[in-house]
Amino acid sequence: MSLTSLLNTGLSSLNAQMLAIEVTGENITNVNTPGYSRQTAMLVNAPTTLFRAFPMGNGVRVSAVQRTYDSFLQGQMMVANSTSGQAKTVNSALQMVQPLFNELTTEGLGQTMQEFFSTWQDLAANPQGVPERQAVLSVGQQLVEDFHRINTSLASVKDNMNQSLEQVTSDINDALKQIAQLNVSIKQIEIGQGVANELRDQRELVVRQLSEMVGVTFKDEADGSVSVNLTSGQSLISGKDAASLSLTTNVATGYYDVMLTPPGGGAAVNATAFVGGPANSQGEIGGMLQIRDTTINRYLADLDELAYSLANEMNAAHAAGYGLGGTQMDFFTPAAGTAPPVPAATAAGYSALIGINLTSANQVAAASAAPAVGGTGNNLNALSIAALYNKTFSMSAGNATPEAFYNSLVGKVGVDVQGAERGESQTGAIVSQLNNQRESLTGVSLDEELVNLTKYQKAYEGAARVINVGTEMMDTVLGLIR
Amino acid sequence: MRVTQNTSANQVLASLQTILKRQQTLQQQAATGVKVNNPGDDPVATQQILHLKSLSAASDQFTRNITNGTSTLTVVESAMASMGDVLARTKELAIGMSSDTNNAQSRAAAAKEFEQLRSQFISLGNTEFNGKFVFGGFKNDTAPFDLTTGAFSGTNDDIKVEIARDSFVPTTYSGETLVSGGTPPGSTGVDIVGIFDNIATALAAGNSAGIRAELGKIDDAQAQVMAGRAEIGARMNRLTSASSVNDDMKLSITQVVAGLQDVDYAQVISDLTKQENAFQTAVAASAKISQISLLDYLR
Repeated sequence: MSLTSLLNTGLSSLNAQMLAIEVTGENITNVNTPGYSRQTAMLVNAPTTLFRAFPMGNGVRVSAVQRTYDSFLQGQMMVANSTSGQAKTVNSALQMVQPLFNELTTEGLGQTMQEFFSTWQDLAANPQGVPERQAVLSVGQQLVEDFHRINTSLASVKDNMNQSLEQVTSDINDALKQIAQLNVSIKQIEIGQGVANELRDQRELVVRQLSEMVGVTFKDEADGSVSVNLTSGQSLISGKDAASLSLTTNVATGYYDVMLTPPGGGAAVNATAFVGGPANSQGEIGGMLQIRDTTINRYLADLDELAYSLANEMNAAHAAGYGLGGTQMDFFTPAAGTAPPVPAATAAGYSALIGINLTSANQVAAASAAPAVGGTGNNLNALSIAALYNKTFSMSAGNATPEAFYNSLVGKVGVDVQGAERGESQTGAIVSQLNNQRESLTGVSLDEELVNLTKYQKAYEGAARVINVGTEMMDTVLGLIR
Repeated sequence: MRVTQNTSANQVLASLQTILKRQQTLQQQAATGVKVNNPGDDPVATQQILHLKSLSAASDQFTRNITNGTSTLTVVESAMASMGDVLARTKELAIGMSSDTNNAQSRAAAAKEFEQLRSQFISLGNTEFNGKFVFGGFKNDTAPFDLTTGAFSGTNDDIKVEIARDSFVPTTYSGETLVSGGTPPGSTGVDIVGIFDNIATALAAGNSAGIRAELGKIDDAQAQVMAGRAEIGARMNRLTSASSVNDDMKLSITQVVAGLQDVDYAQVISDLTKQENAFQTAVAASAKISQISLLDYLR
């Protein structure tokens, strides 16, 4: 052991504490940086040397600057983000749908349907009355317009979702490019002795953001890069290459198909069926596809079936009766002839097409026999039409009155909205719980860093003191020679 | 669990959010007085409410139908009452004319009055309500009885109104049954116009026996009109009871809907106060936490 080695030991401590303080400083300054993981300077004592048969230490050194990271937690967060992103999208879309069916506070289709049959009751009380006949026609027109309005509004929600695909696919492509870029940078830095802690933080953040938009899984590769796949297995990131999503309009439906070009190029494949995860349950893109391709179509099918069945029954009953001039005609166009229950394909789009066939109030058929013979006071047909409101139609979902069928559609929307609201708040809670866990594990605690700061500062002072003493000893030794 | 500044901050933010969300819901309930504002609030209650509301609207319609029916029946009833009066006077006069003691002059005077009573009776058969002839069946836009011959040109149909679901009440009465006694006249009852005609013929011939022969028929005619009145009375009773059943049902529907839809104000206000307290406490607590830092103690 020599005086110089004492000085060296002191110096190693000065360097090590200095580095530790720098790391602490980095932690403190990044306390609010999104995605930042706290770093720790790992201090180890330097290898010992034998001095007069005693193993003596050679000071301290920093073996690594480690960042706290839990790959399992990252995976959990990605799953939660995907579900949460999907739930948010679905909920916000359904919030647009709900007002269309809100019969509680506004007057909607259900109310109009009821009024329509009510005008037939009034007509039964006064079959010759022009105002009563006119009321039948104008409320009938209102009914038709309500069908059109709901149909158009539902279609516009679908269009809306379709439009949103443009934004989300471009965001996904950006994120994929960033991840691939970071893969390259991290690999370059770590190919030497470097550790790219900050870049890894960034990459994980982008991967988490990506998982909110689309359901993905990731895998840390040995070379420091990550591979990202869709949950259905298709590769999105492989080393330095990123896949890209594009949109093409499907000729049959008029809506976008999502096309996936694999990493490194190649033929694009149609990913519409799997990009949203199983049953479109993952990511914002899954939410959009689910609303566009499944949820709204269910409502539309019900609406079409209701319009079709109503027109069918109404036409049969109306054409059996006679107008004031003896006319016998359908009430609604286009003619709907298929016997219920109506196959979905037959009824498809009917709620958009439905219209009134009658052109004058005289054609409203209140009578069950030609008025020229049986008298204009005949109200039997009006009564039997009014009774249609309570008649059970044979519907695809079983027998139901038009009112019950419509109410069950409202209920269906209600259940979906309730589910979506719950889904959003539950998945939101899970995400924030996981964020807290991540924060708890990798977040910066100011108190902890302040304590570290003090600790390293004091150690630095101590090491300086050691060097001081060493210098004095050196002076003493040199003084001997004088 | 390691707690950092950010975990506490997130936690505080999350709990404030939760409380605010609950507050908003409660405030909306307090403001609207309704706890089911959207189908999504309670889909099951929504379906029940909608069904009950449609029942309630149907019940409004039935009330309207009952009112319509009642007024028509009242007119029919009063026309029949007047017919009864005419027949009573006819009988009185016929009894007077049935003895052989009347001279030609009094017979001529009686013939005039019989003529008057006959046309009065036929006019009553052409009673109108709201421009509709109540005894005309479905052909109610033209007078059912010919003023000179008394021939019936209406139909025998009843105009019915729905007073409760699938329950119909006729609001008119067949003029032919009431006045002419079936098709052809007199086939099922008494042809009342025929009685007048017979009396007129008998009077003109000075045939008191012929008049006496009509007396029994006049009794039958009175019974025929009475039977009509009794039936109309029964229908009006039915309407009255249907109306009160309808009103009761409407009331109970309204109560059930209120139970499903309306908020309990006491509950909402007290919940709201609780949430406000919770909010204040949360804010105060978080302010306290973030005030203390190790920085204050490090020199």
